Amino acid sequence: MTPNPPWVQALKPAGPQGHELLQLERDKSSVPVAKLSEFLFTKEAIERKRRVLKVLESEKVFNKNQNYFAGRVDRFETALARAKRLRQLKVQHGWNQEDSIVANDLISEPGPYGLHESMFLITLRDQGTPEQHELFLKKAENYQIIGCYAQTELGHGSNVRGLETTATWSPEDKTFIIHSPHLTASKWWIGSLGRTANYAVVMAQLIIDGKPYGPHPFVVQVRNLKTHEPLENVHVGDIGPKFGYNTMDNGFLLFNHVKIPHVNMLARFSSVDLSTNKYVRPMSASLVYGTLTWVRSHIVLQSGSVLARGVTMATRYCAIRRQFQDRDAPQSEKGETAVLNYTMVQVRLLPLLAATFALHFTGQGMMRFYAESQKKIHGNANTASADRGAGPEETHAGSDSLADLHAASCGLKSLASSIAAEGLEVCRRACGGHGYSSFSGIGPWYADYLPTTTWEGDNYMLSQQVARYLLKSARSVKKGEKPTNDTTQILTEFLARSDMGAAFDIIGKDEDLVAAFAWRTAYLTFEAYKHRDEEKKAWNDLLVDFYRLSKAHSQYLVVKNFYEALQSPSTTDVLNEETRTVLHKLFRLFALNTLEQESSEFYQSGATTVRQIILARTNTVMKLLKEIRPHAVRLVDSWDFPDWQLDSSLGRYDGKVYEDLFHRASELNPLNAITVDPYPESSVLFKNDKSRDFKSKL
Amino acid sequence: MPDFTDALKPAYDGAATLVEERNGSKIDVDELSKHLLSRDGFLERQKRICEVLESEKLFDKSQQMNLSRPDRYHLGLARAKAIRRLVHKHNWGHEDAKMAEYLTDEMSPFHLHLTMFVTTIREQASDEQRAYWMPKIMGWSILGCYAQSELGHGSNVRGLETTATWNPETKEFEIHSPTLTASKWWNGSMGRTATHAIVVAQILVPSPSFPTTLKSHGPHPFIVQIRDTKTHLPLPGIVVGDIGPKYGYASMDNGYMLFDHFHVPKTAMLSRYATLDDTTGTFTKRGHPGLVYGSLTFVRANIIMNARLVLARAVTVAVRYSCVRRQFRDRDEKGEGPEMKVLDYPTVQVRILPLLATTFALHYTGEMMFELYGSTRESIEKGDFSTIAELHSASSGLKSLCTTLAADGIETCRRAMGGHGFGGGSGLVGINADYLSKPTVEGDNWMITQQVAAYLTKKMTIAVEKPDSPPADSVDELFQMYLRERDHRIPQNAIHGTQIDDKAVVEIFQWRAADLTYRAYHARVVEKKPWNSLLIQLHELSRVYSEQILTTTFHRALTSSSSSSLSSPTPSVLRTCFRLYTLYTLSNSPLPFLTSLAISQSTLDLLPDTILSLLAELRPHAVKLVDAWAIPGYLLDSALGRYDGRVYEDLYDRAHRKNDAMNKTIFNVDWRSDEVVLGSGDRGRGILAKL
Repeated sequence: MTPNPPWVQALKPAGPQGHELLQLERDKSSVPVAKLSEFLFTKEAIERKRRVLKVLESEKVFNKNQNYFAGRVDRFETALARAKRLRQLKVQHGWNQEDSIVANDLISEPGPYGLHESMFLITLRDQGTPEQHELFLKKAENYQIIGCYAQTELGHGSNVRGLETTATWSPEDKTFIIHSPHLTASKWWIGSLGRTANYAVVMAQLIIDGKPYGPHPFVVQVRNLKTHEPLENVHVGDIGPKFGYNTMDNGFLLFNHVKIPHVNMLARFSSVDLSTNKYVRPMSASLVYGTLTWVRSHIVLQSGSVLARGVTMATRYCAIRRQFQDRDAPQSEKGETAVLNYTMVQVRLLPLLAATFALHFTGQGMMRFYAESQKKIHGNANTASADRGAGPEETHAGSDSLADLHAASCGLKSLASSIAAEGLEVCRRACGGHGYSSFSGIGPWYADYLPTTTWEGDNYMLSQQVARYLLKSARSVKKGEKPTNDTTQILTEFLARSDMGAAFDIIGKDEDLVAAFAWRTAYLTFEAYKHRDEEKKAWNDLLVDFYRLSKAHSQYLVVKNFYEALQSPSTTDVLNEETRTVLHKLFRLFALNTLEQESSEFYQSGATTVRQIILARTNTVMKLLKEIRPHAVRLVDSWDFPDWQLDSSLGRYDGKVYEDLFHRASELNPLNAITVDPYPESSVLFKNDKSRDFKSKL
Repeated sequence: MPDFTDALKPAYDGAATLVEERNGSKIDVDELSKHLLSRDGFLERQKRICEVLESEKLFDKSQQMNLSRPDRYHLGLARAKAIRRLVHKHNWGHEDAKMAEYLTDEMSPFHLHLTMFVTTIREQASDEQRAYWMPKIMGWSILGCYAQSELGHGSNVRGLETTATWNPETKEFEIHSPTLTASKWWNGSMGRTATHAIVVAQILVPSPSFPTTLKSHGPHPFIVQIRDTKTHLPLPGIVVGDIGPKYGYASMDNGYMLFDHFHVPKTAMLSRYATLDDTTGTFTKRGHPGLVYGSLTFVRANIIMNARLVLARAVTVAVRYSCVRRQFRDRDEKGEGPEMKVLDYPTVQVRILPLLATTFALHYTGEMMFELYGSTRESIEKGDFSTIAELHSASSGLKSLCTTLAADGIETCRRAMGGHGFGGGSGLVGINADYLSKPTVEGDNWMITQQVAAYLTKKMTIAVEKPDSPPADSVDELFQMYLRERDHRIPQNAIHGTQIDDKAVVEIFQWRAADLTYRAYHARVVEKKPWNSLLIQLHELSRVYSEQILTTTFHRALTSSSSSSLSSPTPSVLRTCFRLYTLYTLSNSPLPFLTSLAISQSTLDLLPDTILSLLAELRPHAVKLVDAWAIPGYLLDSALGRYDGRVYEDLYDRAHRKNDAMNKTIFNVDWRSDEVVLGSGDRGRGILAKL
């Protein structure tokens, strides 16, 4: 493909240039970007990012130019080449775990080693015995074997107990027989399994002497280590193209009576006794569900930055894009208005900008909470109640902080990933027509993020666990038991004040705003309690109520976490007053905007009046939008996404939006190296196809 | 190749499940299908064309999701040509060809030729120009596109930067792109396919007295040849190409185009409604200014009519799959019965069934729009331009609402299906990606609501100023009624115990629309608030007003003879759909209903339970209702949405037997080796060359 002719190269975008416009935006606010970035991520993390980025940018295999053009197989092949190179770089530069995480974030595509490096290693480590560590974990850590984690099946996802794959103990030869009795027993969606892994941790129903003992993890070799062909009676492959995630080989897997030795059942928590052929019960299941809680808390933390990428691209672009003159502008002012000045664009983007911070602080809060409770558990792991069920999702009543954390992680995972996914689509649409181009960067990113709303617990399914926990807490409070954690605390306060009613000053006082969210949660909890325990309504008839309850509770947690983060000395000591004022406005915007969207629950519960909600909407929120607007670009700058990571024309730091769109379309686009014969009667399609040479020349 | 998996069956029989579902409802599916889709022989045509396409290898859809962008275009062009050949072979008419494109379910690179290109020539070209161009267009000796949007400008047509400067000496126009943002952008069929384009450019004419001063006459369409008809290369002075990959629309070559002082003859200017005098340089416009928007209104009307079928597809897949999919046993049931069908969960019902009801709401409004468009065109042909404003406003508001409902609806259905919704086998990946263009094209869904609000505010101003003048239309009637009643409004009860008062529901929606209009009028006209500070409110007004149209139209249709004469239980099931659509909409944003005094608090309190019982009422008919939309399996292209319920068999078939592109390649996964494909020995050079 010939480069653009000189007269095209000489063209500039009309009006003020993108970089000038972004400079003006940055001049309007004095929020110290670097300082805020350090506050959000630490200085160390930012330096790490710069260091790793430098290495990746210099490697041709990581060049992203053709990502948006390539077909499924090429995308996978490239991803595999990148995964290998990344591993080589890790060894070469002595990168640690954090360096690798940063590298993956920067590359921003799911890779074929993804599940090996996460769930496979974690499960071997957490659920294997020292003997099994020696046997499997060491080889896995050295990449002598490549693994994945095979739980979900064609017919079953969220309901782990419903899994159909069986592992039948055979006392004669001391082996397990792994088998898929139905088509729906096929493992499905398993990341890294389709073409990459030669080992899998397989979750299967353990059967001893005809009796089922529930799902347990087994290490199973699935492919030959030399030829990489599937082993006999193992049927494995890639499940085909998807909405996104096309760089990942999600796979299927079926077994036809495959024998594995006794040592392949991961036996740290439960096992089959070799001599008695009896099942050995788990010591404590709380450690098992700890992993899931960690994964979900991590999703909450990530959701802030996932959304922030979309908000960064949309905010920068909307500050540059101009459309229509302001109807009320005087004749003399001829210029069109920046799209970001439209209130109907602000009302979509700025609450999302606020949400990025809300989710970030909530995620940090969750991770802290997790670390604290892990300490507690490990402190008394041996005394933990032994009669807990084996399932990872079982929780116990009321008071312990672990149950509180578990419930919070379920509800927040559901809320946070929904906010992020839906928010990205809002960002994309706020960019108007150009948002539809892959070069916007938002669409592909959204497509890859979407599965997060269903995996690690479907967002709707998870809400039942939150409701179950809140119902148990309500029962304990009703019995007059003393509050032992925040949840029982807010329920107790609600009961105590229910005769007096609330009179929260949501517009005037921050504490009242938080309290209004707590009040609504408590109100909905006791409504659910009334329906379930007093009126004995069927569980299924209450699922919609439970979903709302879970959402209310999680929104309360986000608002509370955001508020507390702003009060904490670690914030007040580090950030200057202007920054804190802006963050405080973001807090109010997030809370009031959420409150307005859920308005009926707030006034029904008596937390607010209708009048307050109308005032919040028509006055307070509008005022906040106006006050936050000048800081928007600096605030997204503080999320510190390198252009290389964003891979977006619209979201460029330097604002060269149109130049970049044009460059990618005309000079990086292989389709333009093809000249077609367009006439229907001619069977020639392409007169001239230089797209192959074009690619290799780059 | 046979293997041990051939004998495996799913744990639950999906086919039997759907048979059982269909036996559970007495709806006459064929009768309802005909009621919905018999205009212009739609059902017969769909069946006939589908049979032809399914027998052509080129129209097999099983591999296309794996293809790269250039390959998708390649396939799209091959199919577009094949459809033209089928037109000749089977003697298909225009509607048949459109049906073939609809069933193929991808944007054809020829799409613009037969839509905006030919429509513009038909509507804006003089008789002489028509006589010259139409035979070439209909004979396919030229291929056209429509170049309006630019890199820097979309919705604001007046802001276009491409210029067409009149040269009185040479009697030519010079088309030019003064900046990079003047580049035409997004224009379908232009990137690689078209030979000609309708180029919308700002007309600049030198003033007769001061020849150096150029007077602008606003944007105007020109017909311009852009590529050589033999070599198909761009003509000198033109740079044109494809803009690259998009969220969807992979088969379409949306393009960019720049002009370097490109000369076109005077006849290039389409001159049905405007002329330029050669000697005096006087530019004259004729007709109504709204006429220029004629084809845009047509496109919007089409989008509105299409929305029901798009949403119906998504709902069809979601309803069938969530009957076959089972998950968890009922918590209140002891024992070891089968797991519950996912559609029996109220959390799933509340996401899918209101959308099922919405397909019917969209249907009746689509029909209404079709009639309105037809009657308006007739009036215009007769020289009566008085109804354009109403059509334009209705089409803007409804385009925004209907495409938002459909686009969000597809995604809601997709997510309601959990993990498998994300897979290619859902059949919703392509439609989602393609349809997501709709909320931002042909008028951004947020931007165009200003047009509705401006129209309504104007109508309200007239109603306030002349409350007693005879109403010209139903909007005037509503506003006059509102102004008479607003001082003594009593909030209405629409639910009495378990009884729903349908008329009261309609009245509540109308009242809220009138009330929001009045507030907008008051803020803008009386208080003179800045327009920009009102945009959020105006957007809401447009939505509310359009919801009122959907509600009123749906209710009117229920009482019309064509639907009330359907056999039992269809009329009462449609009524349930009406109630579910309206009450669900109401429950989504109850506040404006309450603050406008449209509805009583007691009705609001009854909403959640009423909606739950409506869901339960509709549930047994869900499968038959989606069957009535008669979406062919070829169009659905979905394992999850199969008519016969063989969901898992099909998913497995797609993964195992139709996924050779991935599964026939053995990869070298050892990180120490640069080789990517095992045994290729290329040290990874193959893939590097493609970067």
